[in-house]
Amino acid sequence: MSRKRQRLVPDGFGLKRQRERGQAEADPLRGESGSARAAVAELVQLFPRSLFEDALPPIALRSQVYSLVPDRTAADRQLKALQEQGEIRIIQLGFDLDAHGIIFTEDYRTRVLKACDGRPYAGAVQKFLASVLPACGDLSFQQDQMTQTFGFRDPEITQLVNAGVLTVRDAGSWWLAVPGAGRFIKYFVKGRQAVLGMVRKAKYRELLLSELLGRRAPAAVRLGLTYHVHDLIGAQLVDCVSTTSGTLLRLPET
Amino acid sequence: MLGFLLARQAGLDDPLRLRRAESTRRVLGLELNKDRDVERIHGNGINTLDIEPIEARYMLSGGSDGVIVLYDLENSSRQPYYTCKAVCSVGRNHPDVHKYSVETVQWYPHDTGMFTSSSFDKTLKVWDTNTLQTADVFSFEETVYSHHMSPVATKHCLVAVGTRGPKVQLCDLKSGSCSHILQVMFAGHRQEILAVSWSPRCEYVLATASADSRVKLWDVRRASGCLITVDQHNGKKSQAVESANTAHNGKVNGLCFTSDGLHLLTVGTDNRMRLWNSSNGENTLVNYGKVCNDSRKGLKFTVSYGCSAEFVFVPYGSTIAVYTIYSGEQITMLKGHYKSVDCCVFRSNFQELYSGSRDCNILAWVPSLSEPVPDDDETTTKSQLNPAFEDAWSSSDEEG
Repeated sequence: MSRKRQRLVPDGFGLKRQRERGQAEADPLRGESGSARAAVAELVQLFPRSLFEDALPPIALRSQVYSLVPDRTAADRQLKALQEQGEIRIIQLGFDLDAHGIIFTEDYRTRVLKACDGRPYAGAVQKFLASVLPACGDLSFQQDQMTQTFGFRDPEITQLVNAGVLTVRDAGSWWLAVPGAGRFIKYFVKGRQAVLGMVRKAKYRELLLSELLGRRAPAAVRLGLTYHVHDLIGAQLVDCVSTTSGTLLRLPET
Repeated sequence: MLGFLLARQAGLDDPLRLRRAESTRRVLGLELNKDRDVERIHGNGINTLDIEPIEARYMLSGGSDGVIVLYDLENSSRQPYYTCKAVCSVGRNHPDVHKYSVETVQWYPHDTGMFTSSSFDKTLKVWDTNTLQTADVFSFEETVYSHHMSPVATKHCLVAVGTRGPKVQLCDLKSGSCSHILQVMFAGHRQEILAVSWSPRCEYVLATASADSRVKLWDVRRASGCLITVDQHNGKKSQAVESANTAHNGKVNGLCFTSDGLHLLTVGTDNRMRLWNSSNGENTLVNYGKVCNDSRKGLKFTVSYGCSAEFVFVPYGSTIAVYTIYSGEQITMLKGHYKSVDCCVFRSNFQELYSGSRDCNILAWVPSLSEPVPDDDETTTKSQLNPAFEDAWSSSDEEG
């Protein structure tokens, strides 16, 4: 027990360790201490584009970034910096107040333009993408902001809502949204429950990560097991325990 | 550590640096120790603990059965094995004992002659420690969840009381009146006040946390309303009305100022802990991860004092989670209690943590001494064995 404790003391205080610890083996999923940008780029590769016929931009989740970048505060700060530079957009996914989707701005723009091609609201959407997106990096927009600062009239705002670019939040404010994201959210919620169920049904409610990834995905999991596992680890819905056989995912007792 | 001592001797380092380094090292080594015990008096869960700020020698505990016990934490015996004894207690047969559970106890900040206790029986009692009699009783209309007296106040003797009603009441110990009420028509709290805390920096600033998800900072000299209602989104998702600002997405259970008073920590039933800048109410966006919190009433957590990276000790189910305050990193989980932990206090002179839980135990977490790794040398510690662990039969080698 005392050996475990000595590891907590940072080296800055000059405490020499009695024994050298061997390098922990790099797990395929954990142990990436790179930047948030690299994490988002990697997660975006995991997104199944073919499932949505390329109509949706690849979406990563904030909880997935936490699983790749262990220091949450640093990850939050880096994501905020990327948001301010305009490289990524953060979208509120409706099912949980904390779940934020992360999309590269370029992907978002191309997909939205493609989705509204030839439709009656194309003009309003293009005006929105050209004027509002670069100017305002927030998740939501207010009534006075839209009408006064950006010069949108009420019919145009209705067109934007019909296009799926804005979602009503409450009277006079709207969330930024991705057109066609409803299917993604449905698959995501079902897939998350299915993967959690796989861990729950295991004996002692714990599964080795390698074993979980090696299993056949149940039919409800359309987005891929790796995608969901990153999200579960980052959202702390499972506890990660490092063992000699690799990472173990265990359901928390509470 | 020898390096630090030499540097201090030679004047290369500030004397404070050695102290902070060693305090941090000791806090990182907190664990349960078989040599330290706290006498078990309570028959029900322990709701609150408080160590007096003058000498850090005496500790008060309040239980769910209304019993208040006073412990002496000082080890004046020469043995390493020590049980913190109860000096006196306000038991069930005391004429002035609280009828229902005691929610908060607090020592008078300036000396140990007096302490205050508040309970679900809608009263706040002021006790004289030497005679163990109540000096004064304040009655309220609703159950009292929490009370606090300012640790730095010299110009006033106000006790802030949070009850099930939305009003924060201030009781004046000098005059015995409790007529000062902090509530403004639309800008006050709307539901029960679960925690109150005075700022350790400014004697007139009070923070209150309520079940309506709001945390407000008040200046008690100002009659017109609260100073700030903190907003977790920092005004990003700004609504037109300030009353929509919430600190958490659920009830706000616990409040604690950092020891310098510049930051405020809050925990809420949305399983989050947030760090706020106490001067402007801004969310510092430090992410502690999931801090499990399903307590229906207040949660009492504490921060360390005197370490180079300050730590916060939060009850997390039946364990205590330790985080660094400013970086949000989880250091460790202290496991030892059998049921949910309700309160913890830190004794900064000795870097010890005392925690009380619903399993009627108070556990003392003591820094583990740095002993050499057992494999390297054979020096046994048989001579210091606790007499309870020594066996009474003779060794079989002697008989043969």
